[in-house]
Amino acid sequence: MKMKVKMNKTLIAGLILAAFMVLIALIGPFIAPHELNHQVKIEYVVGQDGDGYVVAPPVAPGSKEYPLGTDKNGYDLLTKLLHGAKYTIFLSIGIAVARVAVGGLIGLLLGFYVKPQREGKEGTGKASFWSVLNGIPIFLIVWLMMIGITINPAASPFAMSMILAVVLLVVGVPSVASTVKEKTLIIRERQFVTASRSLGAGGWRIIGSHLIPHLKESFLILIVQEIILVLTLFGQLALFNVFVGGTTMYFDPPEYHSRTSEWAGLIGHNRMSFYANEWIFYVPLAAYALLIIGFALVSKGLEQRYNKMFSKFSHF
Amino acid sequence: MLKVAGWSIMIPGILFFVFLFAMMPVLLQASPIDGTLQLSWEQGFQSLKDYFAGLGNGDSFQFYSGKNERSFWEWIGSYFVTSFYYVAAAGVAGTAIGLFVGIYFSLSEARITRSIVDFVGSLPDFVIVLIMQFAVVLVAREFDVVLFEVATLNSEEPAIALPLIAMIIIPANYMIRGVAMQMRLTLKEDYIGNAKARGLGKLYIVFYHALPNVLPFVKGDLHKLMGIIMGNLFIVEYLFNNNGVSMLIFTNAFVEQSGIYQYNIVVNGLLSFLALYLAGYAVIRAFLFLLGRVFLR
Repeated sequence: MKMKVKMNKTLIAGLILAAFMVLIALIGPFIAPHELNHQVKIEYVVGQDGDGYVVAPPVAPGSKEYPLGTDKNGYDLLTKLLHGAKYTIFLSIGIAVARVAVGGLIGLLLGFYVKPQREGKEGTGKASFWSVLNGIPIFLIVWLMMIGITINPAASPFAMSMILAVVLLVVGVPSVASTVKEKTLIIRERQFVTASRSLGAGGWRIIGSHLIPHLKESFLILIVQEIILVLTLFGQLALFNVFVGGTTMYFDPPEYHSRTSEWAGLIGHNRMSFYANEWIFYVPLAAYALLIIGFALVSKGLEQRYNKMFSKFSHF
Repeated sequence: MLKVAGWSIMIPGILFFVFLFAMMPVLLQASPIDGTLQLSWEQGFQSLKDYFAGLGNGDSFQFYSGKNERSFWEWIGSYFVTSFYYVAAAGVAGTAIGLFVGIYFSLSEARITRSIVDFVGSLPDFVIVLIMQFAVVLVAREFDVVLFEVATLNSEEPAIALPLIAMIIIPANYMIRGVAMQMRLTLKEDYIGNAKARGLGKLYIVFYHALPNVLPFVKGDLHKLMGIIMGNLFIVEYLFNNNGVSMLIFTNAFVEQSGIYQYNIVVNGLLSFLALYLAGYAVIRAFLFLLGRVFLR
């Protein structure tokens, strides 16, 4: 019983953190302290006692007006984060749900209808084919697909986000499908499936009333894990200047800005700031890491909740 | 024979994907007016045709780096060796650390260390690298000690230690969690209980009864581990500015200034990348083979 209480702690902490982030994404633009285009200009402020000081971007965090500071161009970081949150959070959740829905369906059908392969040369050949391709990281493939269209696009940020979403959906479906297929293959050998089949149930009936109910916990965990994977991809792409919603590129000197202030984009844009004005670097990074930690806690909590139910005990 | 047949299907298949992926930047184009997507197959096939035509006269192995024309063969050697050094180190050290720490975790509670490992494992690779760089800068500022080079700025002072640590930490972390889980499952098996009842020592059982049953799992998971290492290689080489195969692709995919896409260097780079993958895979397999020699009876 003691274990059970502890298990839920991880899950609850994760759920609170994730819910907080979703809330920020929902109401962020309304509670932002400044307009998105509000910019700090260099000015000389004279205090009440006559002492003057210069306010110049970037403003360090901690001031009442700019709690998280501003970036090099004088834009408030908190405002940017609050406005960008909806892209980061809703897009990652949306892509993850779509990946699991499409990949899950394909996996179920493959696992249920395709005859199991004999352990033989053919199977291993196929497996090693895909695993060698696995040597090309997914974000590189996405980078190659996006880099031609992402710089200074004519399409709206929303349209660009949707294009990226479709690309990420396509590259993510195979791994989800194969995971679900593996699980389906195990369940379809169970006796209740055989019993149901001998009673005359058809394929869809078995999938609907036996396979899906048995897999629904797996699906839930899979969605949370896919959210983390999508967020990771956002971040990796952002390092290489492919931002969610498109990249605005300025020339001389070349500078890459996120059009949506999406969090990963802010990290990619500011990643070289760790030598000086380091808050520009760590504020978006902290927000992004916190988001990932939240979902990781949810995933871990769910796993603990579902997996430990019938476990045996270690001999040591 | 079957193996040969498998390879003869596999290699054209892989080549097809490499040529296709490399074609993407010219294939997918957005209209400059309203931003709608267009597929320009003509241009895509043109670059493919040029590549094959260039194979004969060597044009496919010439590329522009800035304003200088360079030969792929001249550069790939040192770049490949640099990358291979990281991949091999990450693979061997990652597997070794993963196995032994994983075994330790499966045997002891080690709550705090375990949650630290879990925590690090939940963060994306590049976040870990960025935090490491930032930590070094902070230490240098506070204590005036530069622990590691944060990035390679010139060839005299390459960053070696920090990228190496970053390359090892991430696969090791993955391995630790995998091995610990598998080990815990194995220790629940009845033959372990039997061995224990026969009065064999704990360490003897772990290394000579349980470990041989965990090693196949490690072997089965190697492709996934290599996938992690290769993805990590991109991030590490890029963030530390080290000259490896992935930087060869990224810095030269588009010619500086003119922005022309160099199809040939991307294809060549991707193929060297896959060669690197296979080389790294072979190194880990050899390492596991040696390990098996020690613990399999």
